[in-house]
Amino acid sequence: MNLYLTEEIAQHAIEKAKEGAPELPNFITLLYEKFGKVAFIGFLHHWENVVFSWMIVIVVSLVAYLAYRKRSIMPGRLQNLVEMAVEGLDNFVCGILGPQGRRYTPFLGTLFIYILSMNFLGLIPGMKSPTSNLNTTVSLAICVFFYVQYTGIRSLGLIGYLRHMAGDPRDVVTWLLVPINIPIHVIEELAKPLSLSLRLFGNITGEDVLITVFVGLGVSALSFFHLPIGIPFQLPFIFLALLTGTIQALVFTLLSTIYFSLMLPHEEH
Amino acid sequence: MTYQTALAIFLPLGLAIAAIGSAFGLGRAVSAAMEAMGRQPEAADKIQLGMIIGCALIEALTIYALVTVFVLQGKIA
Repeated sequence: MNLYLTEEIAQHAIEKAKEGAPELPNFITLLYEKFGKVAFIGFLHHWENVVFSWMIVIVVSLVAYLAYRKRSIMPGRLQNLVEMAVEGLDNFVCGILGPQGRRYTPFLGTLFIYILSMNFLGLIPGMKSPTSNLNTTVSLAICVFFYVQYTGIRSLGLIGYLRHMAGDPRDVVTWLLVPINIPIHVIEELAKPLSLSLRLFGNITGEDVLITVFVGLGVSALSFFHLPIGIPFQLPFIFLALLTGTIQALVFTLLSTIYFSLMLPHEEH
Repeated sequence: MTYQTALAIFLPLGLAIAAIGSAFGLGRAVSAAMEAMGRQPEAADKIQLGMIIGCALIEALTIYALVTVFVLQGKIA
């Protein structure tokens, strides 16, 4: 085993810092440095975030399938755990959307579990959070955006959707304000996925960069002795990353739920 | 002054100014939440949820400044 692996890690972080925000190596990056000529490893390295996302998808689907397979009225441990999660998410979504929110629970609940798992994946040594890349968060935000618009068109009808975009004009004053309301609502609808994606990306990347910087600091603190270990300065920041990862997944899901509730017909009309 | 110098001075400065604004906002939000929880302890869970959401929204504005720093910091060297 290479005793200077930690120095390689520090070197790698320093080299990465010259091109962009510093980042810890993950197992794909390490494979790429050793076997970069192999076409498959090059492919994995090019699609790094997709590979990690697929790992999460396979693990979450496997857990869901295993909990569903031998379901019974007296649940076993795994089924109990999954049922707790599903019930908690269902209460959360239906608390905001009302009883009609049950049909959106699968999407929003899966969104929460998926984003939470991706945020936590980066804290495991040798892995990277896919959400620390803008592509993943923008694609999630675009999915939410299109589903919200489709829900609006489906439940309000096309005319009702356009009226909603124009600010629901009822009397002369609101009809006169329609030319102002339409651009405001359109820009608001477009700003929602922008803010969702940037918030998630910025928080997770910020946490990862923080951890990377402290790993580098810990390794360089003992570099005089050329030891294979470094002082674990990053430990409190891993706990902070657990907290902010959970909060950001919750905020993404909650804001998506609120966008649904804004688009669906309100009760006060 | 080259553009690298300008970036190196003003990127962290801009981020710090954004952080000041969000510190004020977060302080107000959390203090209002604490006060509300003190007045009505049985509503503490709902208040806490709303506080967390409000804090995330306020924090997002500082995160936008941080993302700008990430995007531009490669150009300094």
